[in-house]
Amino acid sequence: MTRITRRTLAKGIAGSTAAMSSIRLFNVPAILAQTGDNANLGPYQEAQIDWRQAEGESINVLMTPAHYFQKFQAVTADLFTELTGIEVTVEVIPPAELREKAVLDLASGSGNYATHTADPMYLPLYSANDWVESLDDYIADDTLTDAAWFDVDDIVPSWRAANTVDDRLLGMPVEGEATIHVYRADVLDELGVEPPDTLEGFAQVAAEVHSPEIAGSALRGFLGAGQNMYIFPSIFLEFGGSWFAEDGSPTVNSEEGVAALQWYVDLLQNWAPAGVENWNWPEIMEAFASGGVAQFIDANSTASVIENPASSSVAGQVGYKRWPAGPTGRRVSSIWNWAMPINKAVSDNQRKATWLYLQWLASRPTQMVSATYQETEDAVVRTGVNRISIWNDPEYRELISFTEDYVDVVLTSLEEDTDPDWRPRVPQWPEIGNVMAIAVQEALTNQQTPQEALDEANRAIAEVMGG
Amino acid sequence: MSDLPSAAPFALPTDPRVRQTKRQRMGVAEERFAWLMISPSLLVLLLVGTLPLAALIAMGLYRIDLIGYRPDGFAGLENYRDMVRDDRFWASVWTMLVYTFTSVFFQLVIGLALAMALFRPLKGQGILRVALLLPMILAPVAVGLTWRTLILTPDYGIIDAFLQMFGLGPYPWLTHPTLALVSVILIHTWQWTPFAFLVFTASLHAMPTEPFEAALIDGAGGWQRFRDITLPLLRPVIVVVIILRTMIAFRAFDAIYSATGGGPGTATEILNLYAYRISFTSLSLGYGAALGTVLLLITLMISWLVFRLRQHNQ
Repeated sequence: MTRITRRTLAKGIAGSTAAMSSIRLFNVPAILAQTGDNANLGPYQEAQIDWRQAEGESINVLMTPAHYFQKFQAVTADLFTELTGIEVTVEVIPPAELREKAVLDLASGSGNYATHTADPMYLPLYSANDWVESLDDYIADDTLTDAAWFDVDDIVPSWRAANTVDDRLLGMPVEGEATIHVYRADVLDELGVEPPDTLEGFAQVAAEVHSPEIAGSALRGFLGAGQNMYIFPSIFLEFGGSWFAEDGSPTVNSEEGVAALQWYVDLLQNWAPAGVENWNWPEIMEAFASGGVAQFIDANSTASVIENPASSSVAGQVGYKRWPAGPTGRRVSSIWNWAMPINKAVSDNQRKATWLYLQWLASRPTQMVSATYQETEDAVVRTGVNRISIWNDPEYRELISFTEDYVDVVLTSLEEDTDPDWRPRVPQWPEIGNVMAIAVQEALTNQQTPQEALDEANRAIAEVMGG
Repeated sequence: MSDLPSAAPFALPTDPRVRQTKRQRMGVAEERFAWLMISPSLLVLLLVGTLPLAALIAMGLYRIDLIGYRPDGFAGLENYRDMVRDDRFWASVWTMLVYTFTSVFFQLVIGLALAMALFRPLKGQGILRVALLLPMILAPVAVGLTWRTLILTPDYGIIDAFLQMFGLGPYPWLTHPTLALVSVILIHTWQWTPFAFLVFTASLHAMPTEPFEAALIDGAGGWQRFRDITLPLLRPVIVVVIILRTMIAFRAFDAIYSATGGGPGTATEILNLYAYRISFTSLSLGYGAALGTVLLLITLMISWLVFRLRQHNQ
C-alpha cells in the first residue's frame, strides 16, 4: 500500500518546511507475484521459529522510490503477510525527504515508523542518540531468529561493517551498490586506447577521447552529501587523504586531500560535459546512454539502464572495471547500502514484528525472489542483492551478466575495494557532508582554489567536532 | 417593549432598565453564538498558525542540536549572537535581498507592460492570457527541474541551443556563481509575473473611464495618460502586489532547491534555504528556528515599510 501525498498546484506559498511535504507520491504498480498458494512459503517455514508470533500487528515503513523496493513491496502481501499475519504499510518518499522525516520521527520519539530505508551514514547519529535497536540482540534470540537458516554471515560483509557502530549492527542491509568504472569499450577500441587502471590513466584517456561529440568523462558535480560527496571520498582516500588525525582533529586539507580535489577539478573542468558541476547520477547515466560521455565512475546499478536497448543507444558497447587505483595504489569503492533499523520508540510487539519483517526481507528466499522477479519483460533487474551466495548463484549471474566480467567486477569491488570509513562515520556526518559538498563544488566552479576550499572546510569541520 | 421585532436582536429598546437586562440576555446569547461560529476557524488558526509561530520563536532561544556536539538547553540570545558572526548567514540575507528585489521589480514592470499590451482587444487574446497564466499554476519544484534540465542545461538546453545558432555559448547558467543567481531570478520572475499580470489586468478593467476621456479632450498623449492617470490609479494595487510578491519571494524555496540546491557552493542560498539546511541537514533545530525568526522579522519589517510608504504618499 502506498500513501499518496499531493500538493496543491495553485500557489507556491510554501513555508520553510514545505519541501518536506511537497514531494509527491508514488505509484507502486500492483505487480504481484503470480504465486498464490502457500507452497511459496515453504522456504520460510524451514526456519525454526514461530513466524506468527506477532500476528495481527501492523507496522509503518518509510521507503524511497526505487525499483528494488517496489519488487519487495510486490511480494510482501503474498509472502510476508501471508506468512506472519503482520500488515506492512509502506510510505514511499524521495531520499532527502525520507531522511528528514525519519530523523524527526526518531528525535521526537513519536514512533510513527517502525523502520525505514536509512542512509548508513546516519547510523552513528542514531547510535549517539540511542534511537534504534541493536539488531545483534534480535539475531541472538532464537525465538526470533533461526540463525542457521538466516545465515547473517552470507550478507555482504562490507555492508554489515558499514552498518555497525560500536560493534553493534544497527541497520539491516537489504540492497546496495558499489561504484565502479564504466566506459565505452567501442570508443576506446577505435582509438586504440586501453581502459585505464589508475586515476592518472583515467584522466589521460579522458583527454584523449574528449571531443565536441563525446565528453572524455563525467563524475557527480552537484552539491550534496549524497551527490558530489558520494564520489569525492573515494578519490580522497585513494590519494591517501584521511578524515581525521589521531587526536581527532580534521585533516581534510592535507596535501593528499588537496591533490585529490585538484585531480577532480582538473578532470571535470577540462574533460567533462559543460554543466557537469550540476550533474548527479541520472544526468550522467542519461548522457552516457545517449552516447555523449565516454567513461564515468558511479554505481554499478546504472548498468541495468545503460545496457537496456530500450533506454540506451550504447547497450552492448560498454565495459566495466573496478575503481581506477589512486597514487597510493588503493581502490576505494562506495560502500552504499540501504540499512533498515528498528525504531526504539515503537511498542515491544511492533519491534518484534519489525524484526520479523527485516529478517524476511534480508533472507535468501526473499532476496532471490525479488532478484529474479521481473514485472515486465524489460523491467530493470536488481543489481544490488545483499547476499554473496546469490551473487554466486548461476541463475542470478546469468540474469545480470551484461558483460562476461560484470558480476565479478562488482563482486570484487564489494569484497576488496571497500573501507567502512569511506566517509567519516561520526554523528556529525550530516554537517560534515554538507560542508565538504560545498567546498568541493566551490573548487569545481572556481570560487576558491582546492587549497582554500579545503582549508575553510577543515576549519568548519573542526568547529562542528567541537574543537 | 412588546413592539420590538424579535428578529432584530441588536435593536435598542428605549427603557434603560429593560434595555440592560434584555441587551444582556440577547448579547450574551449572540456573543456565544458568534464565538461558536468562529471557534472552529480560530482553533485551526491557533493550531496551525499561532502555536507553531510561538514554538518557532521559543525554539530559537534554545540550543537543540540533534548531532549533539554542544549540550542542549536554554541559550537565551546565543543563537542570535552566533548569527552576527556567521558569514554564511549574512551572505544568505544579501542573496535573498538581491533575489527578492530584482525579481519583484521585473515582475511588476513586465506584468504591467503585459497587462497594458493586452488591455485592448486583440486577436487570440484569450489564448495569450491562458498561456501567460500557465507558469503560475505549475508546482515550483517542477519548474526548477524543468529549467535545470530542459532550458538551462549547457549545450543541450533550449536557451543554449538557440544561442548556438548565433555562434554563442555554451554558458554555465546554473554553475557560475553570478549567472546562477541571475538564472534563479529569471525562473522566479518567469513563474510569478503572471500573478502581477492578472492583478493589473483586473484593475485596469475596473478603472473609471471618465478621467481618460477628460484627458483625451485636454489633448494628453499616451505616455501622459499612463503616467498621470493610470499609474496613480494603480498605486494601491501596485503596493499590494509588491507586498505580496516580496513576502512570497522571501519564502521562495522549491524552485531554487531543485534547480541549484543553493549552489554553486552557496551562491544561490537564500536565507530560507539556509535555515532549512541548518534545521534539517545539520539538524541544529534551535539555530534553524532563530534563522526562521529573523526571516519572519525581515518580512514583517519590509511589508510595514512598503505599507507606510503607501500611506505617506497618499
